[in-house]
Amino acid sequence: MNPLKIGITGVRGIVGETFTPEIAVGFSQAFATYLEGGRVLVGRDTRASGPMVRAAVMAGLLAAGCEVIDLGICPTPSLQLAVTWLGAAGGIAITAGHNPSQWNALKFVRGDGLYLNSMQAEELLDVFHQGEFTKVGWDQIESVIHYQDPIERHVELLKHAFAVESIRNRRLKVAVDCCNGACSRLIPRWLEELGCEVLAINDNPGAPFPHRPEPTPDTMAQLSAVVRAGKADIGFAHDADGERLGIVTELGQPLSEELTLALATRLRLARRAGTVVTNVSTSRTIEKIAELYDGVVVRTQVGQAYISEAMIEHNAVLGGEGSGGVTVPELQLTHDSAAAAGLILEGLAQTGQSASALIQELPRLTMLKHNFPVEPSRLYSVLQNFRLAIERERLIYDLMDGISVVLPEGWVHVRASNTESLIRVIVEADDGPAAQSLLEWARDRLGGLLLI
Amino acid sequence: MPPAGGQVAFLLFTARRLRPQAQRCRFGYAGKQKRMIFNRNAVASFLGDNPICRNRVAVEIQQIRSTQGSRSGNPGLCDATALRFAINESQIMRAIPTLKISISGVRGVVGESLTPALLTRFAQAFGTYVGPGTIVIGRDPRTSGEMVRQAVIAGLLSSGCRVINIGMCPVPTIQLLVRHHRARGGIAITASHNPAEWNALKFVGADGLFLNSGQAREMLDIYHQGEYTKVAGAEMRDVEEIAGATDLHIETILDALGPLPRTRKQLRVVLDSCNGAGSLVGPKLLAALGAAVVPINVTPNGRFPRPAEPLAENLGDLCAAVKEHQADVGFAQDMDADRLAVVSEEGTAIGEDYTLVLAALHILGKTPGPVVANLSTTSSLTAIAGRFGCPLSLTKIGEVNVTEEMQKQNAVIGGEGNGGVIYPRINFARDSLVGMALVLHLLAETGKTITELLHSFPRYALIKEKLACPSHQISVVLRMLRREYAQYPMDVRDGVKVILPDGWFLVRGSNTEPIIRVIAEAEHEQDVRNIIDSVYQKVLGCINS
Repeated sequence: MNPLKIGITGVRGIVGETFTPEIAVGFSQAFATYLEGGRVLVGRDTRASGPMVRAAVMAGLLAAGCEVIDLGICPTPSLQLAVTWLGAAGGIAITAGHNPSQWNALKFVRGDGLYLNSMQAEELLDVFHQGEFTKVGWDQIESVIHYQDPIERHVELLKHAFAVESIRNRRLKVAVDCCNGACSRLIPRWLEELGCEVLAINDNPGAPFPHRPEPTPDTMAQLSAVVRAGKADIGFAHDADGERLGIVTELGQPLSEELTLALATRLRLARRAGTVVTNVSTSRTIEKIAELYDGVVVRTQVGQAYISEAMIEHNAVLGGEGSGGVTVPELQLTHDSAAAAGLILEGLAQTGQSASALIQELPRLTMLKHNFPVEPSRLYSVLQNFRLAIERERLIYDLMDGISVVLPEGWVHVRASNTESLIRVIVEADDGPAAQSLLEWARDRLGGLLLI
Repeated sequence: MPPAGGQVAFLLFTARRLRPQAQRCRFGYAGKQKRMIFNRNAVASFLGDNPICRNRVAVEIQQIRSTQGSRSGNPGLCDATALRFAINESQIMRAIPTLKISISGVRGVVGESLTPALLTRFAQAFGTYVGPGTIVIGRDPRTSGEMVRQAVIAGLLSSGCRVINIGMCPVPTIQLLVRHHRARGGIAITASHNPAEWNALKFVGADGLFLNSGQAREMLDIYHQGEYTKVAGAEMRDVEEIAGATDLHIETILDALGPLPRTRKQLRVVLDSCNGAGSLVGPKLLAALGAAVVPINVTPNGRFPRPAEPLAENLGDLCAAVKEHQADVGFAQDMDADRLAVVSEEGTAIGEDYTLVLAALHILGKTPGPVVANLSTTSSLTAIAGRFGCPLSLTKIGEVNVTEEMQKQNAVIGGEGNGGVIYPRINFARDSLVGMALVLHLLAETGKTITELLHSFPRYALIKEKLACPSHQISVVLRMLRREYAQYPMDVRDGVKVILPDGWFLVRGSNTEPIIRVIAEAEHEQDVRNIIDSVYQKVLGCINS
């Protein structure tokens, strides 16, 4: 299996197999053609393949007549902020986010700093597939400008979005694991601005990822040890490009990534009631918390672009996903782990409670996630099979993104991954045994086509 | 009806009277001070806005520029007959592509066929061919250089190479650095003398020589097969930026040749770098040698102040500057600084053929030994080699053919008649910097002027011309010439070189452009003119039939 995923979240694949320099050049030419030229920002995370992909991207953009500003190693949210204040037509973030280090990807940012939505992404794909790209002559080729400071500007904007003084007064001790990723400079810098004592690990962008760049409990053992040894008030784990946030409590307990948004929702709604936007496969804990604080929950398809658009539509006070991505609208309408950390530290400072105490208060459900690898060519027939099975059982289902089924014991969500050749199954119920039986239920109906 | 509009948009022709029945017409352009200004768009729209056609016009411009200065023909307003003729010629040219993939590398027009995807694939093919290892890359100052460089970097990194970028520099610097870093190879990003809209990749092997034709074919096979080495993302490296490559080049030259000996008066040099890759390093080298430098055209911004080839007719500004500053010598480099032309203290461009002759005069006087040049080199070099009793070998055209033969012969000096001087103690590469150092040493050590030196050996009348010729007709033309001149001794290793009783001529297809090149030499101007005229009559008859 040679995975290459070309979809609405961009183009993503394994470097050395399917993600070739030609693919990166072609998509950059297509993006430049789609934007009709103009200024385009380029940033990357710290993967070893980053310089190769960056060179391919620049070649494609320059050939199509774009003015390229190279932000170097840069968190994706910093790039998204820079797109608006540098007046760029768009940006390309070279990062495979939470994927392992052999992956890389291009994510396309439009002129307002948000990702292309599904319609725009499809237009871009049409341009790519048509293969007719803008080509400019020798006298219209622009040069590359190196701009190294999107991060200082990001910190400046973060300071205006939170009650910095009250956080400073608490003099919190914070452990962070930057996964040697793109936030290795931003996060320690931001926490120092907040008056925190910072215990940083894996903050060397020149080193390889110390573990999978996905802030889930199984990657937070090292951070948990640092929190305990350093007696920190909280620990934050980041993915490779600064979108997702994982939390370790002051007791050293790594939390499920689902709890990042749950905690953020609790802290945000307690001070400001309103709408919270999340996707269909995120824990229903969010609804339970919203009930407590008179909030409203809006569910979207999976994908940041959908969250951003629904947040605009509903004038939401918070957005996010069960993967650990949180959007704080005061800063920008896209996931930003630095903003998420700011929101949580602000909450710790203003409530005066410990992280573990705040988590303890949250309503709890049991969620189980399971991934079934499937050959890329059969992903959709497996899903179709599942849908036929539940139709035969006359169950209520929703096709907003993949297939969501509501059962008396809880809910089941089955969908094809946007980024890998996997079927993702998520179930949630009141307790463990009930959740386990939901997972079995789903597996039975996905049935014989799975390669397991 | 010439198109109107544009401030100096005149469609002009040089009608050259070679002979009445073969009057040839070309697009040209006129302006003040012989610096011809041309509104290409006006012509392009007139010719139907075909990009290939447009590009052909650019080639025509080059040709008219290279022939105008030295010939008697004056540009004048066109008449209808002449215009029709020119349009016919450009119609033929519609079939000629803007991309040339050959054993000399890949060369094309930016914004048309030289796309980043193509460049990336070529870099991958080269990375696959030389195997994962160190590759040195550098570029000339063309505006498309950065785009091409990024595409090349992506391809090389993807195939697992370690990339050393030495930035903007002369091609011989890249060749020197390949050996210095014991690299597996190098890529020079330059279309040397082609106009500004072109760019190209030239491939250098581990020995610092360009890939020879066998190696180039092997690499082209890999390119066409499309199966390239791809390393895993985790094994990729970042580009290493290395500064000071040109300083190392200067040091190497000074170590080998030393500074100029003390003379009564410091030598004064005017240097015209054509805003090319030699713009920064050239003045630095001359100062380090101990000469006083007056630099012109040393802004490496990708804009060509004159046609890039250092042909006599392109060096008007330099000749004027030499006179104005009362300099001892003027030097002209091309865009990638491998070729050199010399202007005498009288302000006369002596012809790029004599650069190698002067260099040989200096070297053979000190260290006699074998000399290697190509088939189209002036007979003056034969005379110089004969004077010192040194053997002279003539090879096929192309730098790598000369350098390989030099290694075989253990030559002490070599080069090409186009101004390329190769001095093996420094580098097996055509190197304008080395050429300047040798000529200055010759001046300082003999105490003579360029003019005096020129009078010390026999000189001949030499004419070089280009003729547009569709690719498929090149071999027809060559076959015809072999038949027509069968009674004379000839050398057919590269095109057709015919030794006539009163001189010689060489006709060959270019590796890089859809043209044939005609070179002829004889003792007197009239003889060479006669040779060229009879060859032209036959060639044009063949193309038009």
